[in-house]
Amino acid sequence: MTDINETVKPLPLIQAKQVNKVFANGCHALKDVSLDIFPGEVVVIIGPSGSGKSTFLRTLNQLESISSGHILLDQVDLTDSRTDINKVRADVGMVFQAFNLFPHKTALGNVMLAPLKVQRQSKAEAQQTARDLLTRVGLADRFNNYPSRLSGGQQQRVAIARSLAMKPKALLFDEPTSALDPEMVGEVLDVMKELAKEGMTMVVVTHEMGFAREVADRVVFMEDGELVLEETPERFFDSHHPRLQRFLGQVL
Amino acid sequence: MQTNSSRWSGHALYLLIMAMLLSGVYFAGQKIDYSWHWERLWPYIVNTESQDIVAITDGTALVDESGQLTIQPDFGGDPQVVQRYDTLVSRNGDLIFQGDTIARIDGWRFGPIAQGLWVTIKISFISLIFAVLLGIIFGLMRVAHGQVWRNLALTYVEVIRGTPLLVQIFIVYFFIGTVFDLDRFTAGVAALSIFTGAYVAEIVRAGIQSVPVGQMEAARSLGMNYAQAMLYVIMPQAIKRTLPPLAGQFINLIKDSSLVSVISITDLTKAGREVVSGSFAPFEVWFTVAALYLLVTGGLSWMIQRLEKRLAASD
Repeated sequence: MTDINETVKPLPLIQAKQVNKVFANGCHALKDVSLDIFPGEVVVIIGPSGSGKSTFLRTLNQLESISSGHILLDQVDLTDSRTDINKVRADVGMVFQAFNLFPHKTALGNVMLAPLKVQRQSKAEAQQTARDLLTRVGLADRFNNYPSRLSGGQQQRVAIARSLAMKPKALLFDEPTSALDPEMVGEVLDVMKELAKEGMTMVVVTHEMGFAREVADRVVFMEDGELVLEETPERFFDSHHPRLQRFLGQVL
Repeated sequence: MQTNSSRWSGHALYLLIMAMLLSGVYFAGQKIDYSWHWERLWPYIVNTESQDIVAITDGTALVDESGQLTIQPDFGGDPQVVQRYDTLVSRNGDLIFQGDTIARIDGWRFGPIAQGLWVTIKISFISLIFAVLLGIIFGLMRVAHGQVWRNLALTYVEVIRGTPLLVQIFIVYFFIGTVFDLDRFTAGVAALSIFTGAYVAEIVRAGIQSVPVGQMEAARSLGMNYAQAMLYVIMPQAIKRTLPPLAGQFINLIKDSSLVSVISITDLTKAGREVVSGSFAPFEVWFTVAALYLLVTGGLSWMIQRLEKRLAASD
């Protein structure tokens, strides 16, 4: 707290400090990963598969427990056993690669469920919010469709609306476009760009380099469980870091 | 894709084969030295015979103008007044002894087979409810995080599935029934529920585990606790997937309920046995009993199919 920078910079919304994750099978998935995410920031994490980027993202809302280190949200330590983890998770939305919509609920039902059951909102209030959110992601004509009647892109937009319904402080995206047909990637990325423009704090694991270049405030490169590089997009894609160069050579 | 004409010819062939089978059974029944008396069965299903009204005391019968029959005791005491009857057997001034039939009343009541059917339905239905409760509790324990819960549930399932139901009924009735002073019916319900509950638990566990992990993660990441996620996200999907195997288990329960006749519960099977000895019509009785079981199990599977169709709305 004595550092002069602390006073001018806002406090980070999410703080990962020296996070280590060792799986039961001995795989050391995260090695001393530290990252600060500030309010309103869009941080994109890229890296080869198996680099630990998804695991790292999942530790941020404790879907994945950590072996050592600290995760702080709004200065609250999630690894502290006194922290109500359910309350924290309600504040951090998550969008999955496989959408994970609830198949027994309509689009509206999917968005309404958590506000109804977790926040105990009235049905009218939850429904109004759900309608607004689905309209916002361009699905005003799909309120009563079950997920099985929606395309992948539509399902992912419902999933984004569903996490927004809890009015989260930050959204985590775990490869949100990787399971989509190419023609549907754009519609999901557009929604995400819109959110970024509105000032939502976002952490995005993706292979969409265009999105990283265009929307990200910072790009993070991970490999072998280590955070290798953390830069603004301009400097990131011009970087001559050998490990990054090798990776970019493979994907671009 | 099946064409319409091939479907109809299939139906016709089926009817032909069934007609041949049934006529085969019919002629075989005619050939053996057995006289069929289906009509003897009726009194055991619905009894329309008039009921005797008997005198409860010695005395004199008095019939007044309105038709009311009174037995005036010879040596004091309250008179027996019979207001409702259909045929009068005694006449005014008759000397009546205790136990004499004094009048008859028409009407009907259920015979032993119908009563047995009711007991079977009742015992199956009550056991079904408890079996589902036990199955859900132990099924949830099978997938719980705590090792102790998993061990306990596994022990229950393995012990119950590894021993015959007949033996369990004896143990519940003679041992547990003695310890807790249970009547036969309660003991029967307990044995059937515990037995079926073990199978339902395994079905529920399989159903829960068939729901993709991502569903639990999505629910938890929205801030739901474990119980909420189970209740609102996992179980509704699991129940839908488990309906077909559950239907099979419930039909088994109805059939297994015939075993409770060994502890002298007069269910459909025991009623059948009793009626055979009274009517000397064993073939007719057992065919009827089988048909009644089929009616109950068929009704249940029809209801579950309806439920499946309703739940299929989201597919």
